[in-house]
Amino acid sequence: MRANTTEGPVIEFRGVTKAFDQPVLTGVDLTVNSGEMLALFGPSGTGKSVLLKTTLALIMPDSGDVIVDGESVFYDGAMALERIRCKVGYVFQYAALFDSLTVLENIEMGIPEVELKGLSHREVYDRAWESLEHVNLDPEVVLTKMPDELSGGMKKRVGIARAIVGGPEILLWDEPTTGLDPVNTATIERLITKLSDELQVTSLLVTHDIEGGLEMCDRVAMLEGGSLRFVGTPDEFRASDDAVVRAFSDRSAAFAALDTIDVR
Amino acid sequence: MNQPSNSALSRLLAGIVRGVGRRTDLIAEHAGQLGLLVWSVVVAIVRLRVSRRDVLRQIYVVGVQSIPIVLVTAGLAGIVTSQQGGYQFTGSIPLYVMGSVVTESVVLEMGPVLTAIILVGRVGARITAELGTMKVSEQIDALYSVGRDPIEVLAAPRIIALFISMPILVALANLFAILMGMVSAQYTMGLGMETFRYGAQLFWHSWDMFYSLLKATVFGLTIPVIAVHMGLRTGGGAAGVGKQTTQAVMFMTLTILILDALFPPLFLQ
Repeated sequence: MRANTTEGPVIEFRGVTKAFDQPVLTGVDLTVNSGEMLALFGPSGTGKSVLLKTTLALIMPDSGDVIVDGESVFYDGAMALERIRCKVGYVFQYAALFDSLTVLENIEMGIPEVELKGLSHREVYDRAWESLEHVNLDPEVVLTKMPDELSGGMKKRVGIARAIVGGPEILLWDEPTTGLDPVNTATIERLITKLSDELQVTSLLVTHDIEGGLEMCDRVAMLEGGSLRFVGTPDEFRASDDAVVRAFSDRSAAFAALDTIDVR
Repeated sequence: MNQPSNSALSRLLAGIVRGVGRRTDLIAEHAGQLGLLVWSVVVAIVRLRVSRRDVLRQIYVVGVQSIPIVLVTAGLAGIVTSQQGGYQFTGSIPLYVMGSVVTESVVLEMGPVLTAIILVGRVGARITAELGTMKVSEQIDALYSVGRDPIEVLAAPRIIALFISMPILVALANLFAILMGMVSAQYTMGLGMETFRYGAQLFWHSWDMFYSLLKATVFGLTIPVIAVHMGLRTGGGAAGVGKQTTQAVMFMTLTILILDALFPPLFLQ
């Protein structure tokens, strides 16, 4: 677990409510403090990714607001949203690399446009190179490749490189280890901890990997049935006598154990 | 006896009204979103937010790469018109009229419409499928997350490219179709090129070429706007992309044909 560095809220979800065909989020209030890493757990379909996406207005809530670094994502106008997006790096579940662009061009897209205008080609290249080194990829090998020439684990790491190249203050991770084998999962988890420490960023991590989340994060929250069921430290989560929390964590532990054995 | 049949009738009527209401609502939603899309593209152009490099790349993809199929289609249309006209005219109408029939039907109708239909399949379907795949694989979200507007980065270059390319493609299609029609008339009916040209010039109005290019410009805007709109509305994974692309092709084709039917009463009176 990382050192807890709470210095006030950086992300505040205030009464976030969203329904598609049926309610997904019902009045979620959650705060992520400066410098901390918060893991968001919950069964599939409980709105974890939806909540994460409201942080950058990728999904509009039906009601409620999200405050990032003191500015409202939805009510402070386009310029505020642009400023927020410059501060946040978003790692997508399946990397979401742009198919038609090379790895270099993909990472270049992660540099805020205002900053990009003042950079030479050489400087952009160097920034991309550096961010690939951060995620333990050999820039010489991957920079000129197209996304479909990369393995799943490499794509995720390029997605992380794109998220960090702009020097974000906040990192949002949407199930970064989904679909990876145990070795790649461990690699990505180590990377998440390393980057959060090295870059001194605030992180919000949506994950199904309970053990990994408890190991890496300062606090954890659990969504269930569209609302928060639990918020606290990893130790409090482990010791929780809430039946739903226990059932969820035990079942996940069981599935996590299944991942480590050959079931063929 | 009357009561059940009355209630069945009212249920049927209610169903029809509901159906019409839903359709109207959907059409209004599409129309509103299409209008907003066009407005956003205009704003992006005015604010110089569209990359010239992206527009040129798209002109190459949607314009230059479409030239072979457009010319083949136009050439065949010219040949067929010439041959069928010759078959009908033999012995009854002077053959030089063939020059006018081929030229006018190509310039007023077949050049723009056939080129548009070809581009619906080649370019429109491609744009919808491409943007649809980007939508379902979160690439559109990724663009927003890095502070880029998909309208500026993806939609505007494609719309501008086809808007510019379409009149040029139609002009090329018209010229090639007339040329092939002329060659075909010479080989199948022995109609000399001079005679063909005489016939073509006899009924020619300079407005006709403007009319043809106006149609091309309108179609050149219609196809990419619908394709982009449908692509950005895609949901539901790979199956959703397939379904949306099919619907987009249907909407584009239908819209082209409806607009084509509106042109004569508006511009040829």
